[in-house]
Amino acid sequence: MIANDAIVALIRETMPDAEVTVFDRTGTMDHFNIGVTSAAFAGKTLIQQHQMVYRALKAAHSDGRIHAIELTTTVAE
Amino acid sequence: MSEQLKHEIEAEVGANKILVYGKGTKDVPRCGFTLETIQFFNNFGYPFEVVDVLENMPKREALSQMTDWPTLPKVFIDGTFYGDTDVLGPMAEKGELQTILKNAFGSEAPKTTIQLR
Repeated sequence: MIANDAIVALIRETMPDAEVTVFDRTGTMDHFNIGVTSAAFAGKTLIQQHQMVYRALKAAHSDGRIHAIELTTTVAE
Repeated sequence: MSEQLKHEIEAEVGANKILVYGKGTKDVPRCGFTLETIQFFNNFGYPFEVVDVLENMPKREALSQMTDWPTLPKVFIDGTFYGDTDVLGPMAEKGELQTILKNAFGSEAPKTTIQLR
């Protein structure tokens, strides 16, 4: 389990400009819809953008706090 | 990561144009996302393979390290990693995926009506 705020904080550690929306899909605090908008995505493929977010959340995945994510990434204008 | 696991994964990826590492099998998916991915590729009609790694933690760890991607399912097309349907869905909406699949198989999708997600 992980709080929405903690997810936002982890993503902003690597992408300080990121606008992050987090939705707890199941009410169990481990399955999330996450949307990230950042200028850091510019010039990256979609798979690379998703890998950037997953790298930021790696610790929370490894220790089981996060089970599943539906992820949407957007390049900031 | 063991070299043996890495070689096993590389051999599987090399042997299948579309390969899905997931939880459960094609006939009995044991995870909603794995099922969604199977349905996604059923829509195209190209042959694809599903490898069940639900109980194989060492292999799941090796896969995560190789791809920089922590979750299942994981999809490989023509040897390249493409993540999951969160990536493939938008790529299909833009027509990019259709081009990649067409190049991989050397033919148009067997099914002409493609329903996305």
